[in-house]
Amino acid sequence: MTDIFIAPKQNEKNKQKIQQVIHKSHMHVLSSFSKNPLGIRFQAQKKDESIILFLRPHLLTNLSWVSLGIFLIFLPLIIMTILPMLGINFLSSEIIAHFTTTYVIFYYLIVFSYVLINFLTWFYNIFIVTADRIIDIRYSDIVIHNVSETNLHHIEDVRYSQSGVIPTLFNYGNLYAQTAGATENFEARSIPKPKEVTDIIASLIGND
Amino acid sequence: MNFSFFQPIFLIKLITLIVVGFYIIFTFIIFTQIKAMDRIIGLPHASGIFKTVSVINIILAISLFLLAIVIL
Repeated sequence: MTDIFIAPKQNEKNKQKIQQVIHKSHMHVLSSFSKNPLGIRFQAQKKDESIILFLRPHLLTNLSWVSLGIFLIFLPLIIMTILPMLGINFLSSEIIAHFTTTYVIFYYLIVFSYVLINFLTWFYNIFIVTADRIIDIRYSDIVIHNVSETNLHHIEDVRYSQSGVIPTLFNYGNLYAQTAGATENFEARSIPKPKEVTDIIASLIGND
Repeated sequence: MNFSFFQPIFLIKLITLIVVGFYIIFTFIIFTQIKAMDRIIGLPHASGIFKTVSVINIILAISLFLLAIVIL
């Protein structure tokens, strides 16, 4: 029996859409938004699987811990300036001076770790969109990391929300990808250009 | 009989060394996590920098522990 109509294969359709989306780009090491980044690989990446979008929370989301980190760096200097004015001397005897030295060094190591952990938490919270799937890498509290992924054809709906003055001003927001059945839904928080990302994912899953 | 073990200064020194010891373990956890994340996602230039920073952190923590033993 002859075929009256042969539908084009879904893969070919997707490939055409992907070609429209892809623009080769070199990614800055601190970049929060990168289309088709070069030089990035992830675990279980297939040979011919190209990364279309690489996302992290907006750089501005680091403002709180950066501010606190700077304050903590200067805090001992402030204390060391104020306390002698009140008649308290931490360097009055040799043994107290030794303890003070040890604790000040220890304090700065803890501040250093605080900054490092917060930076790593931001740096390794990554949302990747490839031609076949989306991968959500979450990293928190230094001992927890979670990697989830789903195929693009499992995604039923993708939407974004942008609320507040600062997210609107700097164009970042949350993206939600709803998956079919009992599969875990995906959420990318505080990503830059959420509308553009939503449009790209929608075009890949064929909801445009 | 020497009761120096029960002197407050000795206890403070002991507690300080234990806390710094825990911090050393913590720095090793950071290093292990960086290696684990590097296996999950490979980002250009990042891996080497982070590993170096975490190794420096470990060296500083161990140095502090030794310093505390010597000067306290």
